Amino acid sequence: MYNYNLFDNMFQLKGLFDDFFRDGTYEAASGMPPVKIYSNDDRVIVKALVPGIEPEDIDMQIIEDNLMISGEKKSDYTGDTYIRKERRFGDFKRSVKLPYRVNTGTVKADLINGVLTITLQKSEEAKPKKIEIN
Amino acid sequence: MIERNVTYASGEQKKVYVPLTDICETPDTYSLKMEVPGAARENIDIVIEDDELRVTVKAAAEDTEESLKYAEFGSRDFYRAFRVGNEIDRNRIEAKLENGVLNILLSKTEEVKPRKIQITHN
Repeated sequence: MYNYNLFDNMFQLKGLFDDFFRDGTYEAASGMPPVKIYSNDDRVIVKALVPGIEPEDIDMQIIEDNLMISGEKKSDYTGDTYIRKERRFGDFKRSVKLPYRVNTGTVKADLINGVLTITLQKSEEAKPKKIEIN
Repeated sequence: MIERNVTYASGEQKKVYVPLTDICETPDTYSLKMEVPGAARENIDIVIEDDELRVTVKAAAEDTEESLKYAEFGSRDFYRAFRVGNEIDRNRIEAKLENGVLNILLSKTEEVKPRKIQITHN
C-alpha cells in the first residue's frame, strides 16, 4: 500500500532521508558484535553491542588472554509481511584478544540496553608494580 | 555500524549511526524495529512532522573512567528519518524499548485499512 507521494517527482531525496517503503536498505556489517576495550591499573572492561539478544543466549569464555563471546541472536520475525528487512539473526562468535592477562575467577558481566559490559580483573602479574629503592 | 552525515532540523550537522531497521505491515499497523544499542529511554526522541518520522537517539556520555584501548564503535547519535504518508494515524503511535531494540508501532488511519465491500443486489 503506497500513497502517491508528491516529493517523488520533485526532488532526489535519496540520501536525505529514507523512504519508508522503498530501496536504500542497509546491510548489517559483519564482525558481530563490535567491541570496545578499556583498561586501568586493575581492570579491563570490554563492551560489546548485542541489541535484541537475551542474556541466556550469550556465552562467554576466557582462554588465556582471549575472551570469546558467542551465542545466538534469535529471530523475532513474525508472520507479517516485511517491507524492510535489515537486521540479521543467527549464531555469532567473537574472539577478543585482551591487552592483559586476567584473573578468570572474578569476571562480571552486565547486559543493559543491548550493551554487554564485561569487567575483568587483571592478573597479579599484569598489574603495575612499584619498585622500592633500598 | 553504518555511518552517515546528516543535518538535524536544528541545522546542526553531525556524523551519526544509522540504526538497522525492520518494518513490517499488518492490515491495521506498521511496526518498526530499530537496533539502538546503548540507548536509554530518556535519550530517545521520536517525532512525526509533516511527512517525516524522525528518530534521534542522543549518544550517552562515556561512563567509565578507564582509558580506551581499542574501539570498533564510537560515541555517536543514532538517527534515521522515514518518509510517511497520510496513511498513519498520528495520534496513535506507541514506542517501547527492549534490550537495545526500539519498537515503534504506527496505526493506520481508518481510511486506508482494508475494507470488505458488500455487494448490494436487488
